[in-house]
Amino acid sequence: MTPSLEKQFNILDYALSSLWRRKLKALTVLLVFAAVIFLIASFHLLSQALSEKSRLLLARTPEITVQQMSAGRQEAINLASMEKLKGIFGVRRVAPRVWGYYFDEVHLANYTVMGLDFARMPEGSLPAPVKGEIAEAVGQGGVVAGASVVKSLGLAERGIFSLFRPDLTLKAFTVKGEFPPESEIITHDLLVMDIEDARDLFFIPADKASDLCVFVANQGEIGTIARKIADALPGTRVLTRPQIQKTYQVVFGWRSGFGSICLLTALAAFTILAWDKASGLSPEERRETAILKVLGWQTADILTLRFWESLIVSGLAFLLGITGAWLHVAYGDGFLFRPVLLGWSVLKPGLGLVPDPKLADLLLIFSFSVLPYLAATVIPAWRSATVPADSALGG
Amino acid sequence: MLIELGEVSKIYNQGQANEVRALRGVSLEIAAGAMVCLKGPSGSGKSTLLAIIGCIFPPTSGRAAIAGRQLARLPDRFLTLHRRESIGFIFQRFNVLPELTVRDNIALPLLPLGVSPKERRRRAEELMARLAISHRASFPARQISGGELQRVAIARALVNDPPIILADEPTAHLDTGLSREFMEIMAGLRRAGKTVVIASHDPLVFEHPAVERIIPIKDGTIHVS
Amino acid sequence: MFLSPWSLALCLGSLVVLVLAVIAARTAVRVLRFWNPASDDSRQIGLESEIWLSSTLMAYGLGFQLLSLILFIQAADSFCEVIAGAMCATGSLLVNPYGMPALLVKLAGVFFYGFWILLHQLDIRSEDYPLVRIKYLYLLFLLPMLGLDIALQTLYIAGIKPDIITSCCAVVFAAAGGNETNLLSGWSQPVTLAVFLTAAFLLSGLAWVQLRRWRGWLGWLYSIGWLLFFVLSLVVITTAVSSYVYAMPYHKCPFCLLKPEYNYYGFALYGVLLPAAFFGGSVALAGLLASRPGMAGVVGAYQRMAVKISFVLLLFFIALSLFPYLRYLLSGGEGW
Repeated sequence: MTPSLEKQFNILDYALSSLWRRKLKALTVLLVFAAVIFLIASFHLLSQALSEKSRLLLARTPEITVQQMSAGRQEAINLASMEKLKGIFGVRRVAPRVWGYYFDEVHLANYTVMGLDFARMPEGSLPAPVKGEIAEAVGQGGVVAGASVVKSLGLAERGIFSLFRPDLTLKAFTVKGEFPPESEIITHDLLVMDIEDARDLFFIPADKASDLCVFVANQGEIGTIARKIADALPGTRVLTRPQIQKTYQVVFGWRSGFGSICLLTALAAFTILAWDKASGLSPEERRETAILKVLGWQTADILTLRFWESLIVSGLAFLLGITGAWLHVAYGDGFLFRPVLLGWSVLKPGLGLVPDPKLADLLLIFSFSVLPYLAATVIPAWRSATVPADSALGG
Repeated sequence: MLIELGEVSKIYNQGQANEVRALRGVSLEIAAGAMVCLKGPSGSGKSTLLAIIGCIFPPTSGRAAIAGRQLARLPDRFLTLHRRESIGFIFQRFNVLPELTVRDNIALPLLPLGVSPKERRRRAEELMARLAISHRASFPARQISGGELQRVAIARALVNDPPIILADEPTAHLDTGLSREFMEIMAGLRRAGKTVVIASHDPLVFEHPAVERIIPIKDGTIHVS
Repeated sequence: MFLSPWSLALCLGSLVVLVLAVIAARTAVRVLRFWNPASDDSRQIGLESEIWLSSTLMAYGLGFQLLSLILFIQAADSFCEVIAGAMCATGSLLVNPYGMPALLVKLAGVFFYGFWILLHQLDIRSEDYPLVRIKYLYLLFLLPMLGLDIALQTLYIAGIKPDIITSCCAVVFAAAGGNETNLLSGWSQPVTLAVFLTAAFLLSGLAWVQLRRWRGWLGWLYSIGWLLFFVLSLVVITTAVSSYVYAMPYHKCPFCLLKPEYNYYGFALYGVLLPAAFFGGSVALAGLLASRPGMAGVVGAYQRMAVKISFVLLLFFIALSLFPYLRYLLSGGEGW
């Protein structure tokens, strides 16, 4: 090994022993720093895992959704519009949907009711139920329900329940299946039924639907087809799946950014602590530096020593914080931060998130944490390195 | 001449209200292999003179040549490099790091030279054997006796095999027995060819037979009697 | 687009670098005003120890600048998820007029900070500190560049308007998705590669000759050659190498190489190219300082070392660049 490389190892070795000799101070800084990194990393990993999960689940949604607009608000669309769409090249299928929200006053919960024309929906457009029949074969009066709905209505024991129509008459349903836990994030409050049942429940006329799902043959042509639809049906809003995915990303990103700002205050407080700790040179430390200098250590060597000390402390804190954050998100579902990132729904789904940090994510968290710490300790490190050598002489 | 000082002055805080003239026009020559004592009370400028000879800082004015190198206005980096090779320092209170082991304390000067752990160990053990402290090699320095500490400090000063050994009031906190022991070791070093300069006002030091020359220093100047 | 963790990290990083730079600049001003090596007063002693502070700050500055460059590219990559029509960092950077200039200034910054550190290392190896004034004047000139870096970065981030579907949002738009921006599509691939390999061969030859028998003018030729080769390499990576890495003839992007799905190949490639270009380019610049007192030997030693390092790195770089193409040929692909 070359002398200069060996020298670095020697100084690193001494840095480790120096930290060990001052373990209380080093440990304090390390633990507080790890806690700050834990918060920042948890937040980032959670939002990343959520957006990844939603990306996977959104893969099942129709490529294009067409909604009728009136005075800037959505209203029911005429089924006759479907005819105009059939002529557009590249459109594979068009299926109407009737959907809405049902507020259960007894259990104080909102359900999303989705009525689908199963004959027209393509295979695999919904997650397969874990219990019971495929959603597409539900038949009149049958529903496939999300896990939270099943729990809320106590449907595990009984298979039949009723919901109120607008005129307060009851409509009975039979539970034919339940959605699997992996899909909870979108199916937790979902009740899927035949389109006619939904029409009956919400009193939607036979020639109307809430919106139209358009499935295309070539994913690359979504944009072009969407434009054609917009031309064919003026007054409608045409939403594409890529757009919805981007919206989710923006919202997650926005929320994540907002949360990051709040965490910056924690970071700022820690940086001040770090500065304070690093600046407090005890007489022993001053003497030690002066002795080293008389013994032939250059100022640059002392600076290197302080750099290694900072790097070791911050590196260990980083590893500790990231590991804690990963465990927090993977096993704890990110319980500390979920309220910030998820909505206001009463029915909160279990998430089963698996964070998958890439190098870029680690770099990001590193920039938020270790970088400011190293910067905060530069001047104190220099001050300690410029203790004059002759102060070791004399009593 | 190994050590040559010509009209050396040192002024601390030059130009400011708290200006201090620690040395005024000191001229001095010390040959290789000599053993010399700088004698004077505290505040006389002994430590400053020792620091200049020890390449810790250059003089404010005057000529200073140590082991063949002119010191005047040499940047700190080069001073340190020269000091590493030429000077072994023994401090007043030995200034051994209490939490490090004896072996690690002795090897301290070797770390920034990029000496491998194996070689550091070898050199430290050789010196510990010479000074009869091998049995304390793995003990933290705070657990050893005053006499042993003394030897650790000497071993550390010798680990780079420098031609010049400097000691700053080495017996100030030692009893008579240990002081005598210390001077015997210094005499041995001189016989081995080292140049030894001791700053002290302890009679046990400057009256020792091995000391060839006493240089009295007072108020920053040398008084030739 | 400030409310994104990436933007915040970039802004925080810039703030940190700015603070460090201002402190270093203070030293620079003091040194330029009061530096007097013949003096022994406390101010001179203070300045001599402040020099260590500024060199440490600049070393940190270089490190942070490198990090900022990588972060910027990653940020642009993450922004593409929210910018309509952008499929990767290239698209994000082109969304407003500040993206690419910001990137180029950051890249230049890495070289400029590096040159300061080189100046410092050469300076401290001489007993007279002959380069002190040049060094600190140069440091002061780096400040506007840093200011430009921060300004462009901020303008870029501020100028990103993501599309959010709100209830007032009108009809669909979105550029026909899926096309990578085809940079430099006018270059013919075989010609570019031929020029690239020839240039590499010439540079290697120059290095070999230099190490055998040093000539001042060869040093200049070498450095200029390296600067040109650096630009050429970036073109080659974008137009030729990258599409073999992605296994898609129309995906020509110099940034996606840094992604995990391509095994972070870009880090290896750029990690070798940047230092190689730096060392190669610095040979002539160091030569400019040889006439200063005490510098001749120091500069000579550095130049030899720089040629050796850049030569070795060049060989690694060629191997890395050719590897995707060779792998493609060996696995049965057709020629150009």
